[in-house]
Amino acid sequence: MRKLIAYRLVLAVPQLAAVSLLVFSLTYLVPGSPAAAILGASATPERIKEVEAQLGLDRPALERLGDWFWNLLGGDLGISYALSLPVTDLLMERMPATLSLTFGGMVVSLVIGIGLGVLAGVRSGLPDRIVGAATSVGLAIPEFWFGLVLSLLFAIELGWVPVVAYTPVTEDPSAWLRGLILPSLALGIGTAAMIARQTRTAMVQALASPYIDTLTAAGVPRRRIVLRYALKNTMVPVLATAGFSFRILLGSSFVVETVFAFPGVGGLLLTSVVGKDFPVIQGGVLLIACIVITLNLLIDVGYGLLDPKVRPQ
Amino acid sequence: MSKPLKTGTEIASTPSSAGMLRRIARRPVIVGTAAFLLVLTALAAAAPLVAPYDPLEQNYAELLLGPSADHLLGTDELGRDTLSRLLYGARVSLLVAFGSVGIAMAIGVPLGLALGYFGGWWDRLGSRAIDVSEALPGILLGFAVIAILGRGLGTLMLAIGLMFCMTFARTTRAVALAEREKVYLDAARVAGLGTPEIMFRQVLPNLAGPLIVQAAMFMGAAAVVESALSFLGLGLETGVPSWGGMLSVAADEQGRQPFLAFPPGLAIIVTVLAFNVLSDGVNDVLAGGRRRPATRRRTHRRPPVAKDVTVKAPAETGTVLDVQGVTVELDTAGDPVPLVQDVWLSIRRAEVVGLVGESGSGKSMLARAVLNLLPPATRLASGSVLLDGRDIAGLPERELRKVRGCGISVVFQDPMTALSPVHTIGRQLCEPLRVHFGMSRSAARERAAELLDRVGVENPKRRLDDYPHQFSGGMAQRVAIAMALAAKPRLLIADEATSALDVTTQGQVLDLLLGLRDELDMAILMITHDLGVVAESCDRAAVMYAGQIVEVGGVRELFDGPRHPYTAALLASDPSAEAEMHRLATIPGGVPLAGEWPPGCHFANRCAFARDTCVEQPVPMTGDVRCLRAKDLTLEVMIGERH
Repeated sequence: MRKLIAYRLVLAVPQLAAVSLLVFSLTYLVPGSPAAAILGASATPERIKEVEAQLGLDRPALERLGDWFWNLLGGDLGISYALSLPVTDLLMERMPATLSLTFGGMVVSLVIGIGLGVLAGVRSGLPDRIVGAATSVGLAIPEFWFGLVLSLLFAIELGWVPVVAYTPVTEDPSAWLRGLILPSLALGIGTAAMIARQTRTAMVQALASPYIDTLTAAGVPRRRIVLRYALKNTMVPVLATAGFSFRILLGSSFVVETVFAFPGVGGLLLTSVVGKDFPVIQGGVLLIACIVITLNLLIDVGYGLLDPKVRPQ
Repeated sequence: MSKPLKTGTEIASTPSSAGMLRRIARRPVIVGTAAFLLVLTALAAAAPLVAPYDPLEQNYAELLLGPSADHLLGTDELGRDTLSRLLYGARVSLLVAFGSVGIAMAIGVPLGLALGYFGGWWDRLGSRAIDVSEALPGILLGFAVIAILGRGLGTLMLAIGLMFCMTFARTTRAVALAEREKVYLDAARVAGLGTPEIMFRQVLPNLAGPLIVQAAMFMGAAAVVESALSFLGLGLETGVPSWGGMLSVAADEQGRQPFLAFPPGLAIIVTVLAFNVLSDGVNDVLAGGRRRPATRRRTHRRPPVAKDVTVKAPAETGTVLDVQGVTVELDTAGDPVPLVQDVWLSIRRAEVVGLVGESGSGKSMLARAVLNLLPPATRLASGSVLLDGRDIAGLPERELRKVRGCGISVVFQDPMTALSPVHTIGRQLCEPLRVHFGMSRSAARERAAELLDRVGVENPKRRLDDYPHQFSGGMAQRVAIAMALAAKPRLLIADEATSALDVTTQGQVLDLLLGLRDELDMAILMITHDLGVVAESCDRAAVMYAGQIVEVGGVRELFDGPRHPYTAALLASDPSAEAEMHRLATIPGGVPLAGEWPPGCHFANRCAFARDTCVEQPVPMTGDVRCLRAKDLTLEVMIGERH
């Protein structure tokens, strides 16, 4: 197991390096120069030069690249153009809300997805067809629209939950949890449908496997066979979908958070995109990439736990 | 193709584009969704003609109205007509959907082709690059592109196109790699065609299907991403009607006019749903099949059996299993098709009975009927299965559980699939012990180790924590046998249990089974197509042909003096039985498929001795043989060469 983790860690390093190199080169892709983009069309060449010097954009590329990697090692992502604050601090301030929402969405999609998938896989008649139709619709619903409808219904019409919902977990854990319910439901619906489909397929396949017959013929109750044996076999392919889902959830959370006024990374990035605040965009992209790469690593380790064949002997 | 198959499974034939179109046209779902998308496209294109109002025309007298005759879908915060904006918004959604998928394909397909074509380091490097690109949520990539290039229709298409292009590259690469393998073997190379030419001739047609499926799906996804970006204000210029932009207004005004959220939201859902359904439908057609046969499990129950049959048997005769008139049928759209017909068979205490026949003769189906483990869509149409005098066919699940494992147990052919790959064998071995004897975890483990030891697995304690893939085939089959024996069954069904093993291991496993028979006083039903196994291990044997038992008897009598022509032919054609045999006698023709059995003797069309009377009506079992001519035939002739 340790070997597997070490191997994956070694693989992650070049991936991270490649992503950070790409992120670094982002500013070089801007037509004209970032300074011109920030200042707009009316800027004079002198003013552009001035801003470039101010932001350090006039230095040679290699020197900047060296600085970029050197600072990265120290966790320094640069200074925001617009806010003149360290990007790392800005992102860290907003990370808790984003991660809360993403994990909330993950819980929702795993619980609903696996639940419905197992139901559809085990009961082949009407339940299967209903779940099939529900997942088709679930896949087609934009998360932010679903959030809008949920907040219309539960916050505005029924008044069960506050419209603006986020409380930091450190302040009040129960308020934090209550505030997460609607946003997580909204965020998780699409990936829940994805996971449900994958679970159903895997479950149908698992139940048709000969080992199910062996256990049945040994007198093991059906429920125990489904929940202990078929389910664990089902989880192997579902894990891959879950990992894939996490990336989608993280991305969609940037949109869903605006519906519920969550102070997450999405809002920060949004203002940065509009204001051409490149250090923040670069830092955000890099941070999110790190999170996704770390999670992929965990998923691979999870594979090792679930499927003995993956473990190095 | 002369006849449609009766089982309802479609056979994937070489796809011809005309046939494909016909199959697509036969699916109302595909036609319906395609028609919807065409109408939507037409409406979007003709928006200036169809829309009742100018989508930008503000009217402060009619702000935030609900649906009415003037404004069918109401108005927004500036008094603009929602229906008109919806129609214009469709232009953005569809343009971006088509444009972005076009860009994604324009980048991804050549990239994938190149990776698949050059292979080697190029491929490895490219695949890593694809992996790197997947470390980012798509929408973040969109953010970056929009930050660099500024808002606009082109940027939107490019941003979304870049999100999807790697998936297209991946698909293309996979198809190209698969085709490349084939191309190298292809005679076309010898015929003087250059590799690139073959590549594109072979790869592109094979790619068309998957690409269409993926393109349709991603058009839906693109519509969602576009709406999200527009919702965030990163889409088109402010004021240009788009579905996402309308939802942004709806979010701001949700306290005052909740209805605003619904027209654009439902428009997105229906459009995306249409793309997805279209994609799934085309995929189904390409896969050439349906998801699940539309058959049901038990449609009607088997008629009850007269009670008096059940009482007398066991004590007097020592019969463990008594199969009485069992018929198994496959439910189809039309008449049910018999798979096993009127089988009678009994097994005494500690007796080993062979059930022999070619594949397709129905012997495994009979075993499943005895085990109450019939596959979906098949059912026990009549007959009963007596275990120690008690009819166990059609018992409720709860009662069956008590019989399974300790009454009847089974060992299947392939031990690797008969054990769950992700659970330790210790855990699986403990299941029957815990279920039947209520053992504690530790007691069950102890007993499991003893069982492993008994079946000849070395180091049993340690091996309990191993997974099936860590065992060799023969050892895994021993584990399966240990599991079948755990609850001390009265009858063990060995369903081709030695067929997948090599000859040496086969002998060892047979010896093990026979040893256990004596030790546990357990009867064995040995299902096999191998007459050598029968000769070596069985006391009696039953020969099955096309769903019927044609002859039963002691193994010696059966081998020395077969009375049914099929038994004789089977003996004569068995390659493993006689080494000195010079020539393999083969039976002309093949086993008729279920559903095509003749009304008379099932073997008549292949039988050298058949007469007209043989084909006229069903042949009953007379004594131990199902043959009208059993009395007047001496079948030694056919196997005479062997002696």
